Amino acid sequence: MSRDVAGLARLLDAGPLPARASLVIVGAGITGLSFARWLSALGLRDMLIVERAYPGAGATGRNVARLRAMQLTEELCHVAVAAQATYDRMGEELGFNVLFYRLGYLWALYEAEEMERMARAVEMHHRLGIDSRLLAPDDVLRLVPVFRGGDPLAGGVVHDDAIVHHDAVVWAHLEHLAATGRVRIASGTNVVGVARGDGGVRAVLTDRGRVETRHVLNAADAWSNALNGLAAVHAPNRPLRREVLVTAPVHRAIDKAVTFYRPTEGWFNQTLRGEVVMGVVDPDEPVGHDQRSSSDFLRRTARLMVRKAPGLADLTVIRQWAGMYDVTPDHLPLVGQTGQLEGWWQANGWSGRGMLLAPYLTRLLAERFMGAEPHPHLALFEPDRFVGTGDAGNGDEDYYARYARPRDATRR
Amino acid sequence: MTARRLPAPLHPAARPGEPVSLRWHGRRIAGHAGEPLAVALLAAGEAGISRSFRVHRPRGLMCSTGQCGWCECEVDGRPSLRSCRVPVRDGLRARSEHGVPDGRRDVLGLVDHVWRLLPPSFYHHRFLRPRQLRKRYLDVLRFFAGRGRLRAGPRSLPWRDALEREVDVLVVGGGCAGLLAAEAAAESGASVLLLEAEFEPAAICRWRTPPLPDGRRLEALAASIAARVELRTGATLLGLYDEGGVAVAGDVLLTVHARATVVATGSYERLPPVPGIDRPGVIGARTVEWLLGAFGVLPGEEALLVGEADDCAGAEAALIAAGARVVARVTGEQLLAVEGGDRARAVRCFVEGNERWADVDLVVVGDRAASVEAAIAAGLDLEADGRGGIVPHSGRDGSTAVPGLFLAGAAAGRPIDSPAAVEAARTAGRAAAALAGTTSATRAARGPAPRDGSRAAGAAERLTPASVVHGLQRTSPADEAILCFCEDVRGAELRADQAVGYGLLELLKRRTGALTGPCQGKYCLPAVLAACAGAAATVGAEDGAATVGTDDEVTTLPTGRPPLRPVRLGDLAGPRSRAR
Repeated sequence: MSRDVAGLARLLDAGPLPARASLVIVGAGITGLSFARWLSALGLRDMLIVERAYPGAGATGRNVARLRAMQLTEELCHVAVAAQATYDRMGEELGFNVLFYRLGYLWALYEAEEMERMARAVEMHHRLGIDSRLLAPDDVLRLVPVFRGGDPLAGGVVHDDAIVHHDAVVWAHLEHLAATGRVRIASGTNVVGVARGDGGVRAVLTDRGRVETRHVLNAADAWSNALNGLAAVHAPNRPLRREVLVTAPVHRAIDKAVTFYRPTEGWFNQTLRGEVVMGVVDPDEPVGHDQRSSSDFLRRTARLMVRKAPGLADLTVIRQWAGMYDVTPDHLPLVGQTGQLEGWWQANGWSGRGMLLAPYLTRLLAERFMGAEPHPHLALFEPDRFVGTGDAGNGDEDYYARYARPRDATRR
Repeated sequence: MTARRLPAPLHPAARPGEPVSLRWHGRRIAGHAGEPLAVALLAAGEAGISRSFRVHRPRGLMCSTGQCGWCECEVDGRPSLRSCRVPVRDGLRARSEHGVPDGRRDVLGLVDHVWRLLPPSFYHHRFLRPRQLRKRYLDVLRFFAGRGRLRAGPRSLPWRDALEREVDVLVVGGGCAGLLAAEAAAESGASVLLLEAEFEPAAICRWRTPPLPDGRRLEALAASIAARVELRTGATLLGLYDEGGVAVAGDVLLTVHARATVVATGSYERLPPVPGIDRPGVIGARTVEWLLGAFGVLPGEEALLVGEADDCAGAEAALIAAGARVVARVTGEQLLAVEGGDRARAVRCFVEGNERWADVDLVVVGDRAASVEAAIAAGLDLEADGRGGIVPHSGRDGSTAVPGLFLAGAAAGRPIDSPAAVEAARTAGRAAAALAGTTSATRAARGPAPRDGSRAAGAAERLTPASVVHGLQRTSPADEAILCFCEDVRGAELRADQAVGYGLLELLKRRTGALTGPCQGKYCLPAVLAACAGAAATVGAEDGAATVGTDDEVTTLPTGRPPLRPVRLGDLAGPRSRAR
């Protein structure tokens, strides 16, 4: 178990910033770290990651890392399957166990209308080779006994999806990047300006000095809008809070990562350590940066969870926290080079899907960065697709919300 | 040598309940109705009640206030209840958790002997090959994780009414400082609501009767304010949220909109960071006094007293009155280790330049550390108190950097041990009342949260503020000393991850698990911080206010994460008036 101690110290060096970098990545979350990983594999050197707090401080350290391949649209399914496979290989490739674990994923359904809709989704999954299964209520109770005695179920959909330890993903990348010696992470560093010239990026100005560069990746997710603003690049992303609570650990009791959408979106699952993480979404959560916890969340979650799964009532809540989604109007990220400013690359607006998609899509982006033809999977995430559309994105167009509100359902 | 019952409790007013019979792992145990389960277990010779999460060390009754979590066990099929908070009744059935075959005789206790082979991150470079077995490895890890067992199926839940109250002053804590502050605030004409976690105010009176430093008796004080202050007992404050102070109080889910808040949450045992300090038989001094005074249970015959606080004197008097022997009294710095297997059997101390060994069966911890969780949740700055603890900054009138938030008593580093301290607590109450006279309630002041994009457009980011601690001296606790008890993180393990390069406190916390367990840092924060102080080349704050560069003087804390005290999900599930 020999580890490059000096390498990690070099990677996180708190000394003066370099005068120039081949690429400045803003944000040391899963997006920035994995983009640096792929680029270093392709031979790029002298990269700098600028991070306002510390690696994994944003959504990467505040999510629950559920990696779902079964999505509700065909395009997204294709990408999600590839993204999950990227995680499946990550441990071996990085020599670090990120605790990728096929816990299984279950949608709990409460209405006949949901069942019909999901039956169509399952057909679509089968066409794509995704082995999801439609379940009768008794099957759901057998798979997840804590539902017993709760609101009557209409059924469920289950698939062999995975969870991962999000912090371990960060450490795996840090230790890997430390060994390559091709990148440095400047923690506690804020970007305060972007110098432009001749239609392209010339330098990034930080509160710790100026770094000359011709390329910038905006991997700041919920803070991407402000950064785009500094570069006069237009994007419609909006930050939106999501809250989580975690309980004291109990023995293995819940064998699926559960999500339901009625009456509002909620979810729970058990970690490998035995803690149960859960949350119920506030459909009216206002847009804006807010990483503070609310008691409304605590009560909303407790009330609905105990109604649906009475077995959860005996759990003890020990912590709650909030993290930020960076939401785009269509709830798909912006991944690619913008036409608005030469050298300005986007990988943000993950809309809650960053943990799943970022390692895979940043690989495609890295190949593009080094001159390859764009991969077809990137087409869905063209970063300038909202330019001239007047945005109209305020979170109400939520992909899940659309699903959860059949009255105004507008699925493509 | 085990615990035994005296013929009667030492406190003349204590009245044991009816004799009842309960079962521990099926074995019949005698107890008294209403006494805490942990007390009945201790009296029956069951010193070890739980097993620690990671390395399965035996743990028993220590704090008796529901904070340390060392007395958790399964009660009537409900997992991981803190048995010091569970009243005994006839026919109650309890068992230990988390052991193979059970928590009393747990073969997994062997893990503790090979702890150097199993650091918190032991799996990081293992269990990757062969690929086909990867999930099986994790299944095995999963089997060993967890603690209690969760039952499926419907259950009856406490029906809680949601209640919203608007008051001038909210006082959190009904001990000496809280009662004094509430009295002073009420005298100033403020409406006052007082939350007390115990089931009666001045619970301390049940077993201890020293008068306040101003000569008054606490019972009398509690009785005198009852007419002027709204008392809510059995009330657990979950946090001071934007929505107000939120508490589970008996059969009520309470939201308090207060114009000013006085935090008088007292203190916790300050456990010296030495090997073995978590063994059953190491008990807080107030707990020892309570055991003898309220229940007549003598936890050991040969006692070592640790600490300089008044609490030691109270415990010493009670022990001597009960016929036990006090072997010695040392400071926390003099204690080197608590030896023994499944319970404390001996101590090593440094006395007069020599290392001494003494056989004891009880180690009484008298030093206390301020309860700082509410201060950290509010982002107040703190300071090392020079005795291994940390205290929040507050002014002479208890005011803090957060408008409307006041501190009083031990939670402000001013325990009620002198007439000046009495006056300080009263001053905090008066200052809170004065401020309340000029301010509107939280709800009115803040107004409803904007439901549109206005927060994004130029509004300040609403991030959890991070506290910093000034003046921490770095310490080097022994390799095998456990610093974080919930996660069994040892001195050597913190140092190892620091050495690898995870010096950032936020990274170190996640790597080792230190500060993240069910006690929420109450028992490990000062020791973990001191072990890390100045070691990090970079200290990073959670929400961007990062401090960069080596600094021996300032340590930035991970942000506080509510709730301030653990709470059952079922206890929060009561109905609530829709307030949108």
